[in-house]
Amino acid sequence: MIRFFTLLKKEVRELLTPQMILPMLIGVLALAFIGNIVGSEGKKSQTGHSVSILDLDKTDSSGLVNKIFTESGFTVDYNTDLTAEQIIKKATDEKTGTVLIIPEGFEDGMGKLEQQKILKHSVISNFSIFATTGSAAVDLTISAVNEYFSNLMMSRSIPGEDPAVLKNPVVTDKYVSLKEKTAHISIDEVTGFITTQTMFIPIVIFMIIVSASQMIAVTIASEKENKTLETLLSTPVSRISIVTAKMTAAGLVSLLMATAYMFGMNYYINGLTGGAFSSSGDSSISSAITRLGLTLSIPDYALIGISLFLSILIALAISLILGAFAEDVKKAQGLITPILFLIMIPYLMSMFIDVGTSSTGIKLLMYAIPFSHTFSASQNLFLQNYQPVIFGIIYQSVWVIALVIIAAKIFKSDKILTMKINFSKKSLTKIRMF
Amino acid sequence: MDNALVVQDLEKKYGKIKALKGINFEVKPNEIFALIGPNGAGKTTALRIIATILKPDAGDAILYGTSIRKNPEQIRPVISYLPEEAGTYKNMTGFGYIKFMASLYTNDPKLRQKYLETAFEIAGLEGRMNDKLATYSKGMVRKIILARAVMTRPKLAILDEPTSGLDVINALEIRNTIKKFAQSGMTVLVSSHNMLEIEYLCDRVAMINKGEIHKIGTPSELKSEFGSQNLEEVFSEVVK
Repeated sequence: MIRFFTLLKKEVRELLTPQMILPMLIGVLALAFIGNIVGSEGKKSQTGHSVSILDLDKTDSSGLVNKIFTESGFTVDYNTDLTAEQIIKKATDEKTGTVLIIPEGFEDGMGKLEQQKILKHSVISNFSIFATTGSAAVDLTISAVNEYFSNLMMSRSIPGEDPAVLKNPVVTDKYVSLKEKTAHISIDEVTGFITTQTMFIPIVIFMIIVSASQMIAVTIASEKENKTLETLLSTPVSRISIVTAKMTAAGLVSLLMATAYMFGMNYYINGLTGGAFSSSGDSSISSAITRLGLTLSIPDYALIGISLFLSILIALAISLILGAFAEDVKKAQGLITPILFLIMIPYLMSMFIDVGTSSTGIKLLMYAIPFSHTFSASQNLFLQNYQPVIFGIIYQSVWVIALVIIAAKIFKSDKILTMKINFSKKSLTKIRMF
Repeated sequence: MDNALVVQDLEKKYGKIKALKGINFEVKPNEIFALIGPNGAGKTTALRIIATILKPDAGDAILYGTSIRKNPEQIRPVISYLPEEAGTYKNMTGFGYIKFMASLYTNDPKLRQKYLETAFEIAGLEGRMNDKLATYSKGMVRKIILARAVMTRPKLAILDEPTSGLDVINALEIRNTIKKFAQSGMTVLVSSHNMLEIEYLCDRVAMINKGEIHKIGTPSELKSEFGSQNLEEVFSEVVK
C-alpha cells in the first residue's frame, strides 16, 4: 500500500506541473473576470435607463407618460420645444438610447377612443447584448402606459365594471402534479427551476470525464516516450498498483481541474444571466417545488456520485487501454478522440431531448453508451424515477469490470511494450507487433 | 560453483519475426557477462525477458533457482534493469528521483537511506542533486540511472547498452562503476554493440546474431581461438 501511495504521489506531481496549473489558473481567472465585468455591465444596463421624450401635445395625458417613465426609474430628458430632428440629434450626441415623440392631438384622440401612436426612435451605439436592454425596458414601460390608459378608457366607457375582468374574462389557475403530489405552480416555473438547478451537472460531468481521459492516456504515453515505463515495470511493484495509481491520480487531478473551472464558469454564467440562475429563488416557487418533492436527497446525490464515479472509471480504463497502444503523447491524444465522441453524444443529447420519449433507435443508442446514464441520472432522480438510475449503475458496473480486467491483462502481459496502434495511409488502423 | 543465472532455450517472436531462436547461456556469480552483437540481434529482447518485462514464448531463465517465467514477482526485488536510452521523470530532482525509486524497493526508512547514500556516492553529482533532471546532461542522466540500478545491490544487474551515446570520459566512469560493483559481489549481465568496450569490461561474452548465440567464452579465449586481434574480428569470423 505504501508503494501505491509512492506511485500515486509521483503521478499527481507529474500531472500537476506549472505548465498545467498556470493555464488552468489563467482560464479560471479569465472566466471570473469576464463574468464580473459582464455582470456589472449587465446590472448597469438593467437600471438607470435614460429616455428622451418630446411632448408635442403638452396636455395632462402626455404629461402622464412622462410621469410613468420617471416613476419607473428612467432618467427622462423631457422636452416640449424642440423639433423631432433636433431631439434625435441630441439623443445621438448624448447616447440616450431611445427617443419617444408624443404627437399633437394625443389627448384628443384618447378622448375619442382612437388608437394613438407614440413614435419610438432607437439610437444605435453598439451591438452588444446589453445594448438592447434599454429599448426593451422602454417597451415594458409603454405596456404600463397602455395598461393605464386602457383602464381609463374602459372605466369611462363602461362605468362600474372592473377593467381587468373586461380584458381577461378567462384566466388559468396553474397547477403541476407529480406522482400524486400537486402544487400551485406553472410547468414553466418548474422547468425553469429544475434547469437552473441541474444546468451545471452535465458540464461538470463532461469536463471531468474528458480531462481524466486525456490525462491517463498522456501519462501512459509519456512513460513510453520518456523511456521510463520499462524501468517501472521491472521494479517490485505490482502491475495493478501501477494501473490504479495512474487512474486515481488522473481522476483526482481532473476533479480538481473541473472544480476550479466550475468556480470560473459559475461567475461567468451568473454574469451573463445577471444571477437569474442562482439557486436562491422565489420562496413561493421553492415551497411548491418542495411540495412536489422535486428536490434531491442525500441518497440521490450519492447515486449521482456513484454513477459519475463509474463513468470516470470507464473513461479512465478505455483511455488507459488506448494510451497503452500509443507510442508517444501526440498519438495518445489522437487515440482518445473516439471517447470524446462517446461523451459528446449523451452530453448534447441530454441538453436537447428527452431520451425517455425518443424513438427506439435513439433510446437504444443512448442507453448503450455507458456515459449517458450519468448525464440522465439527475433528471431521473428529480422525477423520482429510481429504476433507470439503478439499471444504469448496474450497466456501468459491468463495463467497469470488463474494462478493468482488459486493462489489467494488458499491463500484466508484455503487450504494453510490444503492441502499437499505427495510423497509416494504406490502412486506417492496424495493430502491429514489433 | 552454481550459476547465478541459467538461460534455457529462450524463444521470442514478434508477429512473424523470430527475435530469439532458443538461446542458452549461464552467468556465474560476481561475473560480468556480456551479450554482444549488432543492432537487432536479439540482445535487448533477451535482457527484457530476464528483467521480467517480456514473457518468453518458450524456454526459461533461472535466477539463483527461481524461474523468471513462473515467479516474476519473486525475481523483481532482487534484480535491477537499466534499459537502453532509459529516461527519467524530468520534473523530479535528482534527489527526488533516487528517493522515489528507493521507495519502490523498500518500505524500511533505514534501508532506504542506505540506498540513497549508495546512489549519491555512485552518481557523484554533488551540488546538482536538488536540480531538476530536465537540466541534466546526457552523461549525468546516465550516471544517476546507473546509480539507481545498482544502489539496492541487486543479485543481478541487467544493463542494456550502459554507455550508449556517452562521451569517452562519461563512458569510462560508467564502466569503472560497473567493474567496482562486480568486484564487490554483484553479478552483471550487460549488452553492447561496442565490442571493444566489452573486451575491456567483461569476464565472458556471448556473441549473438539474428536471435542465435554463436560463441561463448572469455575475450582472450575467443581471440586466441580465431587468431584475432579483437572481438570485432572474432565476431565477423563467427557470423560468416
